[in-house]
Amino acid sequence: MTAISYPLVERTLANGLRVIVSEDHAAPNVAVNLWVGVGSRHESPGRTGFAHLFEHLMFQGSRNVKSGEHFSALMDEGARLNATTWFDRTNYFETVPTGALELALWLEADRHGHLLDAVTQENLDNQRDVVKEEKRQRYDNVPYGSALIDVYAAVFPEDHPYHHPTIGSMEDLDAATLDDVHAFFRAHYAPNNTVLTLVGDITPDEGFDAVQKYFGPLAAIPLESRPRHAQLPPIDGPVRVDRVGDVPNDRLYIAFRLPVDTTPDYLACQVAVDVLGGLASSRLMRRLVRTDETAVAVGGWTMGLVDGVGLGAFTVDVSAGADPGEVEHALCDEVSRFIAEGPDEAELESVIADTERSWLSALASIEERADHISHHALLTGDPDYVNTFVDRLRQVSAEDARAVAAAWLDPGSRAVVRYLSDSSGRGEEGEAA
Amino acid sequence: MTEVVRPVVAPPAPWDFPAAATHDLPGGLRLLTYDVPGQYVLSVRLGLPISLRDEPRDREGVATIMARSLDEGTQRWSAEEFARLLERKGVSFGAGMTDSGLSIDLDVVKGNLEPALDLLRQILTEPAFPQTEVARQVRTRLAEIDQERAVPSARAGLEFVRTFYAPEDRSSRPTGGSRDTVAQVTRDDVARFHAQHVVAAGVTMVLAGDLAGLDVPALVDTALGGWGSGGRERARYLDRPATLASDRSRIVLVSRPGSVQTEIVVGAPGPDRSVEGGWAPYPVLGFVLGGSPTARVDAVLREDKGYTYGIRSSFRPRRAGGLFLTSGSVRSDSTAESLRLLVEILGSGSEGFSEKEIRSGVDFISKTAPGRYATADAIADEAVSMALDGRTTEFVTSNLRDLRTVDAARVDAAYGRFAERAGIGAGPRSGAGWTIALVGDADAHLDAISALDLGELTVVGDHDA
Repeated sequence: MTAISYPLVERTLANGLRVIVSEDHAAPNVAVNLWVGVGSRHESPGRTGFAHLFEHLMFQGSRNVKSGEHFSALMDEGARLNATTWFDRTNYFETVPTGALELALWLEADRHGHLLDAVTQENLDNQRDVVKEEKRQRYDNVPYGSALIDVYAAVFPEDHPYHHPTIGSMEDLDAATLDDVHAFFRAHYAPNNTVLTLVGDITPDEGFDAVQKYFGPLAAIPLESRPRHAQLPPIDGPVRVDRVGDVPNDRLYIAFRLPVDTTPDYLACQVAVDVLGGLASSRLMRRLVRTDETAVAVGGWTMGLVDGVGLGAFTVDVSAGADPGEVEHALCDEVSRFIAEGPDEAELESVIADTERSWLSALASIEERADHISHHALLTGDPDYVNTFVDRLRQVSAEDARAVAAAWLDPGSRAVVRYLSDSSGRGEEGEAA
Repeated sequence: MTEVVRPVVAPPAPWDFPAAATHDLPGGLRLLTYDVPGQYVLSVRLGLPISLRDEPRDREGVATIMARSLDEGTQRWSAEEFARLLERKGVSFGAGMTDSGLSIDLDVVKGNLEPALDLLRQILTEPAFPQTEVARQVRTRLAEIDQERAVPSARAGLEFVRTFYAPEDRSSRPTGGSRDTVAQVTRDDVARFHAQHVVAAGVTMVLAGDLAGLDVPALVDTALGGWGSGGRERARYLDRPATLASDRSRIVLVSRPGSVQTEIVVGAPGPDRSVEGGWAPYPVLGFVLGGSPTARVDAVLREDKGYTYGIRSSFRPRRAGGLFLTSGSVRSDSTAESLRLLVEILGSGSEGFSEKEIRSGVDFISKTAPGRYATADAIADEAVSMALDGRTTEFVTSNLRDLRTVDAARVDAAYGRFAERAGIGAGPRSGAGWTIALVGDADAHLDAISALDLGELTVVGDHDA
């Protein structure tokens, strides 16, 4: 086992901005990573996709920065940068040569503090078009592209914040106005709704001073934050969605509600899902791919979320000629067997070894390390999670994994999304959710 | 509120790629080690100079099936047992064939290097290629062929190589083989290919990460010292450039009715790293034309017109010869207009580049280098890629030095040489020199594309691959 202990020093500015500095002089670079506490879960009906569209507008200029200049000014100094939006947050980041750190902070502070001075109808219209192409490219024009959208809708209740995907509805985007942009910025973008992490070639004092200089003048806002939703129970009875169309092979997504991120039960669910479908030597791999030969690939994953629920799923690419109904039945058999037996020692050992390597690989780059630190500072309140995650996973016993599987992965609580090839001649079988 | 003054940036110090220590093993394997303190996951990479042209014509894909079957059971362990052995030591393993050779990747935490190297020894020298596992890999590859046909970017790529390369050249066909050749692959084909080609001669092994306290050469010697050299001349095919199709300058439209976007690939022959005038200007060219959201292509097609989420261009050098490739997808009803703009912008290099544009490209590529090569896996990947190119990472350093001297005049000259050799702008039709593959709604766009008069236009069915 590899003991890891990345140094973390945290300070909160008077305006509420949480700043975390992790010193690492291995390369002459600093990773700048901001997590803003707004994502698609904060969107209201009729306004879906807005958090993501807004993220695009953050590159179109602010009080002292021209449209596109954020990209060009930073890239000219050797920065690699982008932004992403997800259910729980919006993330802006750049990795810069140490000498360009202050420029990065100046540019970030200008748009995080003074975006609205520069937003125009033309920029809004243009980026709306770009986002539509992003949706067509990533969701509409590729096989299975909308599968996860179906999974979210099947697993989470209609009035739940995770029911709709981050990309949102194009009709809602069409309806977005400049007034909406202004209201959104004023409601969510402020130092007291943001975490800023610096990882790299800088001391904590240098980092705090630089952040104070550029972000110190920004004003806090009154935040209207609702309490997070209470934990959702497992789905009451199986939910089924079938999509029949032009896909190369039948694919199944068998999904479950889980506990919220980083709780002991969530971690135990991670172990259970890994043993069942995540490991290269997982039970579903052995049963469906190696023994039955009814699947060409299987996977198992969990998605940590904070608003009253998490998500776990198994995916199966069904072999040509195999019956997807039988494959699903065999999968449920394996889950039931796990609920009866729990994992064996070798399986637990494999999960820990595999997770340790992949976690250390993730933390090997300063940009990804900064991202995980921001994530846990903003959403779970514990940036030190980067140092303790593997140890926490090690605490999960065989009985813990079995018990959470019984509670959360019961086949009776599954949502099944099937993408079926129309060449197989089957009609609609299940009920739509 | 007082405004905070925009800060001035201090330029970064010149930077060199980390230096390697080299150790040659008796079998012909060359070991390169890069000590990168603080990188606790060690990255092990092997580059084997095997050419796709080493595959029998009627068994194309055998190298890929062989690569994927390497860890599917050994003389001592079944596939399932071996998967568990790797996993209990937290070893991630992968092997794959590309046009530059066979690459083997293994990542492991520092404390488990020794057992991981013994597992690697078994993978390389004692694979059993059980019939059932090879058959499974064949089925998996056949399913993957269907996936490649269905995904527009992959489908466009297949059509592009089929149009660009001469039909007799291996590069004109899928790296992992086609349905009819893959279906023929047996475990004996795989075992034979392995015995002939997976030998130590000419192999470069890279090990990067926090190596303090490890005697890596001794560990590697213990694990792989017995790996047979095979005693044959390697790389005989790799040094020969691919043959291009004599009619490569044309447009092929893959018909996919009802498509909401059109996938576009535009390519032309490009240089390799030994090009006269130096390699350094070419990545700058790719960057300025289509390498970023602020490049010429996206400034128009994304930021001005809103036709695309993003289109990217880059020069892709091979060991001999290379490609200049631009790809992305556009809104269906903008297909012809996007294509017209794209060809116009890609050809605009002949009118020259501004010093400002070139400075941006030079600065971005040179100043990002320390960060791009900061992790063990990035260093190891670059080192093995250089080895398969017949070079060392000293090239990365000397190229970065040369890059700092690149100005608009050098880039103009580089574009001129590229355009002349590719035949860009040579002829009455504006698409001269380019090979263009499109996947989209042919019925909806055929007339408008035809009216652009870029070159000869062919429509093919979606499943004609």
